[in-house]
Amino acid sequence: MKNLSVISISIIASTIMLYSSLSAESFFVSDIPIQEGGRIKPLDSFARNQSLAFYGKRKIKHEDLSAIDWLLNLFTHPEKGLDQKVFNLRNPEVVNALGLTWTNNFHKYSYNELFPGIEKQLPLIREIFEKKEVDRDVFESQLVEIYQNVMKFREIVSSLSCLLPLFSVYDSDLASSLHVEPGQLISYAHVMSHRGSLFETSQGILTKPESEWSVSEKEIALLLYNLQQTSSDDFAKALKIIPPSKNDSSGLWLSPWELFDGRLIEPHQDKIIKSLESYLLARFENNIENQNIALSSYKTGLISHVGKKVDFSILSKERWLNEADLFTNSLVFYLLGFILLGISWMIKPVIFKNVAFCSIIIGFCLHTLGIYLRMVIMSRPPISTLYETVIFVGVVIVLISLIIEYIRKDGLGIFIGSISGSLLHYVGFGYAADGDTLEMLVAVLNSNFWLATHVTTIILGYGTSLMAGLIGHIYLIEKIRVPKDSVRLKSIYNNMFGVTLIALFFTLFGTILGGIWADQSWGRFWGWDPKENGALLIVLWQLMMVHMRLSGLAKPDKFALGMVLNNIVVIMAWFGVNLLSIGLHSYGFASGIAVNLILFTLFEIVTGFGSYYWAKSKNKVLIRSNN
Amino acid sequence: MGNKIIKLLSSPKLFVYSLVWLMILVVVGTVSQRDIGLYASQLKFFSSYFFSFGPIPLPGGRIVLALMLINLVSMMFKQNLWKMKKIGVVIVHLGGVMLLVGAGMTAIFSSEGSMVIEEGSKSNTVDDYNITELAIIDITDVNYDQYFIFGQPLFKNGNNLMHEKLDFDITILDYMDNATLEPLTNPSGIQFRGMLKNFILKKIKRDKDDMKNRPGIIYQVSGSFTESDGIYGLIFGQSVPATINVGGRQYVMNLQKKKTYLPFAIELKDFKKVMHPGTEVAKSYSSNINLIENNIPRPVLIEMNKPLRHEGYTFYQASFIESPSGEETTVLAAVKNYGRLFPYISSIIMSIGLLLHMLVSMPNLFKKSIK
Repeated sequence: MKNLSVISISIIASTIMLYSSLSAESFFVSDIPIQEGGRIKPLDSFARNQSLAFYGKRKIKHEDLSAIDWLLNLFTHPEKGLDQKVFNLRNPEVVNALGLTWTNNFHKYSYNELFPGIEKQLPLIREIFEKKEVDRDVFESQLVEIYQNVMKFREIVSSLSCLLPLFSVYDSDLASSLHVEPGQLISYAHVMSHRGSLFETSQGILTKPESEWSVSEKEIALLLYNLQQTSSDDFAKALKIIPPSKNDSSGLWLSPWELFDGRLIEPHQDKIIKSLESYLLARFENNIENQNIALSSYKTGLISHVGKKVDFSILSKERWLNEADLFTNSLVFYLLGFILLGISWMIKPVIFKNVAFCSIIIGFCLHTLGIYLRMVIMSRPPISTLYETVIFVGVVIVLISLIIEYIRKDGLGIFIGSISGSLLHYVGFGYAADGDTLEMLVAVLNSNFWLATHVTTIILGYGTSLMAGLIGHIYLIEKIRVPKDSVRLKSIYNNMFGVTLIALFFTLFGTILGGIWADQSWGRFWGWDPKENGALLIVLWQLMMVHMRLSGLAKPDKFALGMVLNNIVVIMAWFGVNLLSIGLHSYGFASGIAVNLILFTLFEIVTGFGSYYWAKSKNKVLIRSNN
Repeated sequence: MGNKIIKLLSSPKLFVYSLVWLMILVVVGTVSQRDIGLYASQLKFFSSYFFSFGPIPLPGGRIVLALMLINLVSMMFKQNLWKMKKIGVVIVHLGGVMLLVGAGMTAIFSSEGSMVIEEGSKSNTVDDYNITELAIIDITDVNYDQYFIFGQPLFKNGNNLMHEKLDFDITILDYMDNATLEPLTNPSGIQFRGMLKNFILKKIKRDKDDMKNRPGIIYQVSGSFTESDGIYGLIFGQSVPATINVGGRQYVMNLQKKKTYLPFAIELKDFKKVMHPGTEVAKSYSSNINLIENNIPRPVLIEMNKPLRHEGYTFYQASFIESPSGEETTVLAAVKNYGRLFPYISSIIMSIGLLLHMLVSMPNLFKKSIK
């Protein structure tokens, strides 16, 4: 055990070092703050969310391009972006409706491929919009989704076109009035901020017939024409990267195009726009040094904003969390632990089991660090969305498994921890595929105190309950495998009962706390709402098991079976009640989940009763042979 | 004999069987919310003593919970319970008793309703969510109105409602939980008065959302021996009130939610809704109000999760209404509950008990396995 603790300490130390490597000093382009979904997040998260929405993954996989590079390339080379195959279409029906051909292996299409089809289908799309969301069939909702994605994409592509160096002037007078060298490339934003008397001069030109224009006048006219062309992009307001003016009370950030609608540009906004412009130019020219200079001046601009300050350390933490992909790495270690445990069963050496134990510890550390960072970024307790409940239940079960393994040292804890940790990570990835997992909360849930107490307690209850059910499975399996080893069976049974008591504590206390929250927020302690009833059902089931044991109605086998079936109750309370889509708590409705729930229920019933009766018949044989 | 009864009543088996029945109730009562809505399901399965399953009456939530309470209390008289080793168990069960007693008090004595106040106006009445009443208002005098209130429990078909100061009697003909008005195509019978001359009041299926139900009532006015004798109909929330003239006095008749008059008033100064910037997700709602008691206003802010407690009432930010012209109206939930402290105390007691019990039993349950 000694070497184990050394290893685990070194792991924790290395994780901390890894984490502290993210210094707040450096400011990357992926750290640029942007407002989306009601909060300020790094551009990196924004890029990943868009990539997920269009492409279905958090990076452009077939081009091996990270989301942030893809996004920046869109800004600097819009025309290339329009030809890039980034839209993932899953439904042949939709593809055909858009006049494209469905290929079997690669369903990615570009904006330029999709747009003509969408234009043709506009009447149909308009008709679908008239319908309520629940009344749309799969084809209709996917068509609407692709339409919205294409429009959003168009908006993003154009959202920085005002900063691109698109124009040049050769007339020296005009150039000097715009503060540039003749022939130098300049942007819409640059012209607008140095326009001076440009528009008054233009009035004089436009009243004259074209044949009388001088060379410099022709150049001015051309410039004006180009400006007007570019300004048709001013619908593109998707990129809210400019902090609002100091007098603003709405808290709404602005997109670059919004700054040029004639409002007064404040110094910090001007600085940010100019730095962004020079960053894009440097990126265009592939000049790393100038990119860094531009970024540091961008940061100065952000700091000079007098309103609500941007927290750079939070931004870089979120960017780091995106890049580190802690939950995937944690999954890798859980799976590794499982494989190593399997090897240790086949060939005896203890070292494999110890390494497996270590692997689970590393996975657990990464898992916990991920949850901790999410808490820091959102400055709220660990659980507030359905996705977070899954991640948290995972970490709870792995923690208890580690404790059990530490006490028992027979691989049982590694087995439970690796299996349940991995499974719950997979479930979590399913939820993460829906979009940004760091969401803002609706008003009722927006209470850190109750999220920290009620929600955390009840989710601890879910976790420990599932744990008791898993030990129930193992008890029944061991009863079949080694029916004579009464010491081993008794110790597993005791562990199961202990975990059941812990589970009962958390579910009971968590449910009552939920009632107290309800009493505090809307005036009734208990309203027989589906989610409340679900939680109550877990408590009642566990109370029943405990009292069945007490009254002799349930012997160990039956108790184990009861706790296995408790898993069904837990899963129904956790996910099932959302399917009823009634009540105050139905925060995560998803129809695809119904199938999984039914499969899970069937699995538990078959394996639970199956192993229970198998163990029973084996026991009978045992008694007979003893006689 | 006495011992035997105590033994039966205090048996953990009785507890197990009540639990099983309660679980069945919870499952059925939850799933049926999909079809009949939360309120109706609660009334049928949980707040009832019995409910009928076809022709068979089955015990409802109140009976089961009462049985569990009796079971818990009689368990306390078991002698082998009062041992140091079982101290945790005893405490947990005492907490359980308190929780159930509190639930009983809440079920019997609590009342809840809503207060709807427009910005700039004030109110001192709470409208019950569910219970209705028939108000006959004598508006003859210029200086005051005289109210005659008949509550929903009286609305049984054929029931006579009368008051010595009323010059007429009322006979209930029909009461509907949810009703609708349909225009008449043929001329009505001569016995009909008021809106029933042009409309028919029809019973329709209860809506799942109880807030959407519009109760209706049909009744006969008799004994005035004037033109006013006849059959009248009222529907909840009707825009034009029904009036009659009897013996020179003028009455307004109204079917309304049961009103409770508070000894103080609440004035809404400002309702505020804050959104997460750039989204349609609400961050918070709040009502800036004046609590007016003895003509002295006191400013209070009621927010989500931060209610106002005053004189046994608690006021919560429940909802709001926005008119197209931008006027805001707040909806406060008003609750009076004598049992509200019980869950707080019992949860603390039960947690302490369970923790104690775990402290006693855990070391045995997690002994290192002997190999």
